[in-house]
Amino acid sequence: MKAFIKEPLFHFLLIGAVLFLIFKVYDDPADSQSSQIIITDGQIAFLKANYARTRQRTPSKEEEQGLIDNYLREEILYREALALGFDKNDSVIRNRLRQKMDLMSDELAGIAVPTDDQLQQFLDNNSEKFITEPQIAFRHIFVDIAHRGIAAEDEAERILSLLLDEGNRTDPDSLGDRLMQPKSFTLTRVSEIAKLFGKPFSLELLKLTPGQWTGPIQSGYGLHLIFVSDYVAGSLPQLDKIRGTIEWEWSAANKKELKENIYKELRKKYTVEFERSENGVKTSQAVSTAPAAQEKQQ
Amino acid sequence: MTIPEELVSQYSPGSSIYNSIWDDITRTADRFNEPGRFTALIGFEWTSVPKGFNLHRNVILRDDGVRARMVIPLTTQPPLGTTDPLDLYQWLADYKTKTGGQTFAIAHNGNLSNGWMFPMVDTYAGGKVDKNYVELRAKWEPLYEVTQIKGDGETHPSLSPSDEFADHETLAKGNLDLTQLKTPDMLKREYAREALKNGLVLEQQLGTNPYKFGMIGATDSHTSLATAEEDNFFGKSTSVEPSATRVAHPFVKSKLGAIEGYELSASGYQGVWAIENTREAIFDAMERKETYATTGPRMLVRFFGGWEFEDDDLRSRTPAFIGYKKGVPMGGNLSKSSADKGPNFMIIALRDPIGANLDRVQIIKGWLDKDGKTHERIYDVAVSDGRSIAEDGRCKTPVGNTVDTEAATWTNTIGAAELSAIWTDPDFDPAVTAFYYTRILEIPTPRWVLYDKVRLGAKIPKEAKLIQQERAYSSPIWYTP
Repeated sequence: MKAFIKEPLFHFLLIGAVLFLIFKVYDDPADSQSSQIIITDGQIAFLKANYARTRQRTPSKEEEQGLIDNYLREEILYREALALGFDKNDSVIRNRLRQKMDLMSDELAGIAVPTDDQLQQFLDNNSEKFITEPQIAFRHIFVDIAHRGIAAEDEAERILSLLLDEGNRTDPDSLGDRLMQPKSFTLTRVSEIAKLFGKPFSLELLKLTPGQWTGPIQSGYGLHLIFVSDYVAGSLPQLDKIRGTIEWEWSAANKKELKENIYKELRKKYTVEFERSENGVKTSQAVSTAPAAQEKQQ
Repeated sequence: MTIPEELVSQYSPGSSIYNSIWDDITRTADRFNEPGRFTALIGFEWTSVPKGFNLHRNVILRDDGVRARMVIPLTTQPPLGTTDPLDLYQWLADYKTKTGGQTFAIAHNGNLSNGWMFPMVDTYAGGKVDKNYVELRAKWEPLYEVTQIKGDGETHPSLSPSDEFADHETLAKGNLDLTQLKTPDMLKREYAREALKNGLVLEQQLGTNPYKFGMIGATDSHTSLATAEEDNFFGKSTSVEPSATRVAHPFVKSKLGAIEGYELSASGYQGVWAIENTREAIFDAMERKETYATTGPRMLVRFFGGWEFEDDDLRSRTPAFIGYKKGVPMGGNLSKSSADKGPNFMIIALRDPIGANLDRVQIIKGWLDKDGKTHERIYDVAVSDGRSIAEDGRCKTPVGNTVDTEAATWTNTIGAAELSAIWTDPDFDPAVTAFYYTRILEIPTPRWVLYDKVRLGAKIPKEAKLIQQERAYSSPIWYTP
């Protein structure tokens, strides 16, 4: 029984029932068919408070009368419109009511506080969404194709063999051409590197062997000899590291699921018939009370 | 414009709808702000548009949601709202006092203000451009949004007749709702370059330069998308996302005329030289005007001013270190030096890593002469493809054009990936107040409408421009005797 009371769907139905009772008892002292309109002190105070909030002052006597007149007009036209059935088959009104139902379900879902187990499970089930990007630390030597033309390849080869032969005796910063980008990068996400050098460059970079001068690989600017000094593969972070994000995503998923469950529950109350007309003669076909497989949540 | 009473009341400060939106925006920004990786600054647009005259300002906060939620954004509808910038300055001052935080405002689209964005004598709200006005404007508006979807605002051909690149994406038809058409006298109070010049005049008259602003670009789109390049332009709002017909959908239409869909500009972005990717560092860099605008390409632009730069400085592999050591960066100030030559500048521009090559680097100088008249002059300081720069400081040879209008493509067979220069002002007068900024031009590339034609089969009206030269504008460096 306890578990049942915790069930949001139960709350949804309960709130619905309570709201129904409240409107029945208080809001409608006379129903929409009645010709009696009762305006309470409370309602007038509400109108005045609304006015004061917008205008930052209380209404004058005349303005107060205007507010009441306006309310009265609205109430009368509202009742008459209902009596004429204007609320039926109006897509704006239907949409608004549907929105209110969705809102109620969203607010209910918002109350739920996930346990650590639930969050961990969510993280595991959606790992591809939360896995971090690979990071690379590297330095590079730039060879400018625009200035060197077809000789650029040879120059890159020359520098590479110099680096491989002389090893630590050569300062890499003294080699190559100038480029207005940093010469060395501490661990940097691949997408950040792509922003500076283009995506093909960042993908090539991932393929290089760490710990040695290699290349050249090409960017939009020219050729680059590369020394990859560190590489950290993408991994699934610990829950505590991204708790905020997971809570947010879990809550969004939870809202969606609850909305769907409520709909399924409500759907059970209805049978649906598709009515076809053939040569002016109506033929009916009943379908099961369970939601058809092709029905999708909107 | 009349707005229904109910709407005003629902969207005024104090109403539940209004407050919940501010609450939502600030919490969302906090949630996704990730220092070092992704900065989400909190801000809002103060959409002042009295009689259709665009006086819009974006308000930017340095702080997080806790401080932001201690205030509610200023609106423009009376009784609580106001369209007078002086009231906005008061709101900004109040924010500072109340929260201990920091904030400033950035105006955009002077081209739709019909002469009210950069006033010289009277303000639209009925005030005067007096000591109070110039001081407050200089204090609260360190930047100006010089390029965006609703037109580029650097300069207009009739203000800069000797500038052959001036007519870039200009939109000079009238005010924002086209209830009043443009007249030529309005232009000089609408464009950034002219305002930078007029600021020198006001400084001489009133002691403070109200238009001493840095340059930024932005989209002003309502889609949350950074799509200011020509080949990814996703439009101003969801109603004009890419389609075969969006070029024919007017942005504004009135009895007097129309701003056509194809006239909108796929622009722009802001570059900021901040010491780290955080709210605080980016805000501070904007406050000191170390910014530049681009019309879409992600160019890298360095601009330093000083007295001692030498050609050898460019041969260094780390010229920016020398830039900061010997001079001031974009947005900075130079004052009189004992040197007998003019100030010199170090400029380095690198093209977008996946974009088009560069055509040329220019310095644009504006100054106030002894008779109180303003002037402007353009110098080409670095050009691609071995072209020469004449005695008068200009390169008359165009870079060429590789755009294939059938396929919407271009090639980087012309232009340069990187251009740089050390340039000394040959016409320097130590007694004259001046400013200098750099403009970087790309080689010609297709405009977004050409991509719509090739990819989506859009029918392009004859009047639509198909080719353009994208560009970057740096914040100026000012010289004061």
